[in-house]
Amino acid sequence: MRKLAAFFTRPNGSALAFMIAGAIWFVFGTSFGLISAIDLVAPDTFQNFAPATFGRIRPGHVNTVIYGFGFMTLTGCGLYYVPATLRTRLWSEPLGWISFVLLTGVVAAGPVCFASGVSQGREYTEYPWVLDIILLAAVFITIVNLVMTILKRCEKELFVSVWYFTGAFMWFFFLYAIGNVIWSPPAGALPGIVDSPILWYYGHNLVGLLLTPLAVGAAYFVIPRVVNAPIYSYALSIVGFWTLVILYTHIGGHHILQAPIPNWLKTISMIHSVGMTLPVFAVLVNVWMTARGRIGRLVADPAGRLVFAGTVWYLITCVQGPLQSLPVIQRVTHFNNWTIGHSHIAVLGFAGFIALGTLWHVLPLACGRRLWSGKLVNVQFALVLFGLTGFFVVLTIAGLIQGESWNNGFTIYRIIPEIIPYMVIRLASGLFIYAGAWLGLYILFRTLFNGEPLGASPEALVMASGATLAGPDGAGGGGERRSDP
Amino acid sequence: MIKMTPAVLLIGAPLVFWAATVIVVIIPIATMDVGPSKIWRPWTPEERAGHKLYVENGCSYCHSRYIRVNDWGLGAERIAEPGDYSQEVPAILGTERTGPDLSQEGGEHTDGWHTAHFTNPRYTRPLSLMPAWAFLGRRNIERLTAYVQAQGGTMADERVARQQLWNIQAAAAHRRGGEDGSIEWLHANIPAVWRPMPNPYPATPPALGRGQKIYQDFCLGCHGPMGDGTGPAAQYLDPPPLNFTTLRRHLVEGRYIGGIFYYQIMNGVTGTAMPYFKRELASEKIWDVSNYVALRFLGYTDADTEPFGIDAAYEPVWANPYKPPVVPGKPGPEETPGKERQWE
Ligand code: HEC
Ligand code: HEC
Ligand code: HEM
Ligand code: HEM
Repeated sequence: MRKLAAFFTRPNGSALAFMIAGAIWFVFGTSFGLISAIDLVAPDTFQNFAPATFGRIRPGHVNTVIYGFGFMTLTGCGLYYVPATLRTRLWSEPLGWISFVLLTGVVAAGPVCFASGVSQGREYTEYPWVLDIILLAAVFITIVNLVMTILKRCEKELFVSVWYFTGAFMWFFFLYAIGNVIWSPPAGALPGIVDSPILWYYGHNLVGLLLTPLAVGAAYFVIPRVVNAPIYSYALSIVGFWTLVILYTHIGGHHILQAPIPNWLKTISMIHSVGMTLPVFAVLVNVWMTARGRIGRLVADPAGRLVFAGTVWYLITCVQGPLQSLPVIQRVTHFNNWTIGHSHIAVLGFAGFIALGTLWHVLPLACGRRLWSGKLVNVQFALVLFGLTGFFVVLTIAGLIQGESWNNGFTIYRIIPEIIPYMVIRLASGLFIYAGAWLGLYILFRTLFNGEPLGASPEALVMASGATLAGPDGAGGGGERRSDP
Repeated sequence: MIKMTPAVLLIGAPLVFWAATVIVVIIPIATMDVGPSKIWRPWTPEERAGHKLYVENGCSYCHSRYIRVNDWGLGAERIAEPGDYSQEVPAILGTERTGPDLSQEGGEHTDGWHTAHFTNPRYTRPLSLMPAWAFLGRRNIERLTAYVQAQGGTMADERVARQQLWNIQAAAAHRRGGEDGSIEWLHANIPAVWRPMPNPYPATPPALGRGQKIYQDFCLGCHGPMGDGTGPAAQYLDPPPLNFTTLRRHLVEGRYIGGIFYYQIMNGVTGTAMPYFKRELASEKIWDVSNYVALRFLGYTDADTEPFGIDAAYEPVWANPYKPPVVPGKPGPEETPGKERQWE
């Protein structure tokens, strides 16, 4: 009993649990993705086996990679770096564990429900009502834990990563409740067309106000540490943070730009979508300037390389995003594989790369063991990068073929044979990502069990990593001074 | 410069979020209820059950349910309006078109076509990427069929009524007279000007190659590899797909079939599972597949025979070597002395 209690109160225990779960969900999520991709090449492969039909396996893929891989990995990292940068410990490890168990339960139960035909059907909000409530409880518990950690902190200043991490959870709680229309079970939807703006308010902010701040917060943590320099500009941090929530929250309408919704909603979404360049560049300039002159060091570090690549994917995503929010461009790019390309460079390229990089950076600190093999992390980087680049290229081409052909009056059925080659290459590229997922799991467990102990107790490491970040005048501030090693 | 204190973070960040949420969520909820549109009608319990299946089985990941302004090239007859989705829960519009838009699907096909298609889409559409839904069971496929036949509201109802009206006749013709009865009924319903009309394009090997490809990609599942109407979809269809080989006995004036083929393939046969192909196949492709079907399954084509006009510029020099079939018990084709071609 006492042993059990000790296990659930060990520092960083819940953070580690989240990270391990994230790596496992990466494997599961990509397995479901592969099955979806096979369905789009040869739909009778699974011989009418219900759980593997496209309509039932796809939500399993999307929800598992987003909530399981992206969200849980980045949460695990945050549960480490938030207390660390505040020079304290997570207020309550047991609460961390409870939210871990609840979330894992939701992510695990989701695909089982979808496979057996239980789903709310609205994209990204497919989890049945009961799971919605459990997920909300997990998020709420984490908010309490975060707020208490902040209130009990030993470091006066809040480091910029803390803003993003805490903000993400506070926004996500309301966002999820509203987006899932949880007050109206079991459908979780409002009657009529008005449901669409709400669904896409959710859909976009799931990536915009959950994955984006989690990933940006993580990048803000890893990059200064790897290059050993304080954040470039406090002002840019502030601008990036506030413009993100002001602008992003409005742009869901760009998903239904061609649907019969009011024009003012479309206009708002377009203007704010273009405006999104502001928070994006504020963040990118800030982190890249932090690493200025030391990019070499950043990419020489296996974890730093992943995070840096993640910021580059962020740039590509967010140049593409505002463009495809414009009606002239959406005439061609909407309704086809172009968007699937965007989704993958966004969720895997930006959020996923940063999640992986932060995982490899934080894991040794949290478990007190050296990363088992930096070389293998570099192999994982190469595998995922190769696969994702393949995705982006072929899906974008396939999307352009579809969009242009439809605008020229070709029917959907006529264009199917034209895109099959691209669907085949997408499947092949997926195998590289899949291999990367397995490799990640391997590195993780080798580190946990065979990694060389770092010597210091986890608690000492917490303090140490917090100290590195705290600039002379507080965490995240004092851009002017850079302490060279 | 704002300093980020816990109070600013924990109170300010949610406040900004809520301000935006009022604009993009609360105001739409308060103002967007426009009431039903002209074509809206409530769903029957059967259709509602179909909608549930549609939602739970992820049809919406591949199908949209609204026609856009720039879909005009696809022959859309109606752009979606907000009132079309009145009271629907959830009104999933879809963000991808791996398959076609379904908002006006009702009445495009007969119930039989949908049964075959849902059981396995490759039965009616050999290249389809849609999953087979046989595992849902017959009862659920009926529900899905009812649901898709209701897509388009009262506009769909009019089309469905037309399908049903003609289906009674087509099925009765088949019951009465078998394959010959079907053909007589089919041909009686083709405008007279289309009947004594040959295929204007030559049946050259490349043209037949194109025809074969089209046949395999579009027709195989119903009319079958031997053209005898025994493709895998046939078991679900009433009347069954036409057996082309029977057509040897029914050439117009003992020689013509091209015009009938063109008309039927372009327009489809409403009331039967035979779909229209005018949106999928350009005019020349329809003539090509007609030549292929005629030659392959009837052993004869009327391609490029009298009456003809001036050959198209691209046509190669080609003379039709095929003789109309001699059918026992029917007068053979009158010997019409072929007009000598100018260049021959
Ligand atoms: C993998 C994506 C996919 C899924 C999932 C899917 N479909 Fe399809 N669907 C297609 C494609 C591709 C076509 C076009 C080829 C064809 O007719 O089979 C199509 C065609 C159709 C058509 C015929 C449209 C026409 O008139 O030609 C209907 C009706 C239809 N689907 C209904 C459904 C329903 C109902 C579901 C859910 C139970 C569903 N689809 C799920 C891809 C999909
Ligand atoms: C979904 C099944 C289906 C598909 C696919 C299909 N057909 Fe048909 N076809 C039918 C049925 C059913 C009939 C009418 C049978 C009846 O009324 O007895 C028919 C009739 C016809 C006729 C009418 C012949 C006449 O003499 O009036 C032609 C020609 C024809 N089909 C050609 C084609 C061609 C060419 C294709 C492919 C491009 C095709 N069909 C695809 C089911 C199909
Ligand atoms: C500047 C910021 C961005 C803008 C303006 C933007 C814009 C868009 C637009 C217009 C679409 C809809 C495309 C269509 O359906 O035609 C879209 C889809 C999508 N975006 Fe972005 N994007 C941005 C950043 C991001 C980021 C950072 C992520 C992820 C972390 C992301 C994830 C997605 C996903 C997953 C979809 C697919 C939604 C679906 O299922 O249809 N986007 N984006
Ligand atoms: C093995 C690797 C992968 C394969 C084969 C794969 C395949 C697929 C397929 C087939 C779809 C459905 C596309 C469609 O509807 O046409 C899809 C959607 C999606 N995938 Fe993946 N995927 C993989 C990895 C990932 C990863 C790692 C992530 C994120 C971290 C991801 C995020 C998404 C998202 C967000 C969507 C929804 C896109 C949208 O609706 O616009 N995928 N994927």
